[in-house]
Amino acid sequence: MSRDLNINVHHLTRVEGHGNIVVNMKDGVLEKAHLSIVEPPRFFEAMMKGRSFHEAAIITSRICGICSLGHQLTSLVATEDALGLEISEQTVLLRKLLVHGATLQSNILHAYFLAAPDFLNVGSVFPLIATHKDVVLRALRMKRLANDIGDVVSGRAVHPITPVPGGFSKIPEKSELLEIKRRLLEEALPDGLETIETMKALAGAIPQFERETEYISLKHPDEYALYEGDIFSSDTGAQPVQNYLDVTNEFVVKHSTSKHTKYNRSSYLVGALARWNNNHSQLGTEALAAAEAMGLKPNCHNPYMNTIAQVVEAVHCILDSVRIIDKLIENGLKNEKPNQTPTRYGRGIGSNEVPRGILFHDYTYDNKGNIVKANCIIPTGQNLANIDDDMVKLVPEIINKSKEEITLSLEMLVRAYDPCISCSVHMLEVDFVE
Amino acid sequence: MSAYTVIGVGNRLRADDAIGPLLIDELKKQDLEEVELVDAGMDALGILEFLENRDKVLIIDACRMGRSPGDLVLFMANEAEVMMEPDQISLHGLGLAEALKMAGSLEMLPRVLKIIGIEPLSVELNGEISKPVKEAMTLAMDLILKEVLNSQEHRGY
Repeated sequence: MSRDLNINVHHLTRVEGHGNIVVNMKDGVLEKAHLSIVEPPRFFEAMMKGRSFHEAAIITSRICGICSLGHQLTSLVATEDALGLEISEQTVLLRKLLVHGATLQSNILHAYFLAAPDFLNVGSVFPLIATHKDVVLRALRMKRLANDIGDVVSGRAVHPITPVPGGFSKIPEKSELLEIKRRLLEEALPDGLETIETMKALAGAIPQFERETEYISLKHPDEYALYEGDIFSSDTGAQPVQNYLDVTNEFVVKHSTSKHTKYNRSSYLVGALARWNNNHSQLGTEALAAAEAMGLKPNCHNPYMNTIAQVVEAVHCILDSVRIIDKLIENGLKNEKPNQTPTRYGRGIGSNEVPRGILFHDYTYDNKGNIVKANCIIPTGQNLANIDDDMVKLVPEIINKSKEEITLSLEMLVRAYDPCISCSVHMLEVDFVE
Repeated sequence: MSAYTVIGVGNRLRADDAIGPLLIDELKKQDLEEVELVDAGMDALGILEFLENRDKVLIIDACRMGRSPGDLVLFMANEAEVMMEPDQISLHGLGLAEALKMAGSLEMLPRVLKIIGIEPLSVELNGEISKPVKEAMTLAMDLILKEVLNSQEHRGY
């Protein structure tokens, strides 16, 4: 196939940070296929320097409105590791409940508002409101419940306030947890099952594209790892979180101000599909049935299926939240005070699975409990090299299609990764009607 | 149900974009009765649940209106065309404009929806709030309180 092709999708995002899809093919030879990113590099680290251990998680939670909880919890884990703060079983359970709420919210929003419009080829969620109002309302209902889990457990859904180093500054009431449990079973579970039906109906529109890569996620011996575990590579197995720099190997590329990462291959994938591939056997029967119904198989090498893996996780989060609430109540809610007495000062590393993949925070504290050095490696950065490698394989495979179809396939590919390219300013642009 | 819901939108880490949440902080010190105060942060879609089943809502946000930094404008939501961003690549593309459009399509808009726009000077990450916007805060508080309290006086008429 001898063909010239130039695609340059210029995504103007918010005030700063944008992602452009760039493809150049000349005489049938692919010269360039990548996602070019401009986002403010390393702003986390500069902001963290000199801050006390009480402030670190509050600051990081405000870096991003979508990922606030993930950053906050990972930050707390890093701080507790650095200062030798032990936390209770109740704290761990409450944090796991928060992670489920955040994962449910993010996965559902991505599946309904970003991926579904692609599958239906309608450009955005807005046309769907007219044709599928009940579906949009269902998505918003699930988002609201997920938010309310955050409200009840962390004090505030948008920027959590009660999770602090060493525990929680306030423990939720039993009645609040029971109400969340009721809604999980009576509202979210039926909505989740309806979501499977909706996605099943759309699954035929998911592009058939396969590229085996290295899948990296946390792995835990006893559960589908989201809050804790070792780093697991589908190529080389498990190692402790403390070795994260050996895995991420950040490097600079010309077309992106965000660093790329690689481990055993030229790129690796993080996020729901990596978690599914590495840990699917630890899901419950309902989540596994959901996967089967939607055509998601173990060792799936189609990155477009990330959205389906997210929906499977949503089902898991709903049901596992119920299990956690039962456990908390069975143990008896204790009005514990957070343990904030450092037993050492030094370096600590935290890692959680946030919706978009494995997140690392690495802090070094001085003996006053202030940060002297910080490093954060976010999931989207880790997926960038993998997206580029996908594009290089995908473009020649679909080169007979029209330029518009190729462009859409590439946009859908990038969106399938659910990237969090930059943390935006919610700035209204206003033109007054004279 | 509260007589009025006031929602501050914005990122506290981005200089003048913090104005919405900062004004909510100030309002919380006022001990206002029957006023629901919401710091929506950056979760624009989360605003939907505070629009639904409400009678009157006032949104405070930094707005690019082509005016001087610190300028305040109180307008009804239907008086202005809010611009949707072309970004469909990330969830961050769903901003306030999109949330309001969605609320309209879903028939979730309150009977009265007003917006106080504050023209920012800077929305730099980790930047300080600018002088003109800081100076506008007193006037903004007056404007909000007048709006909210007047509405209470007229309640029931």
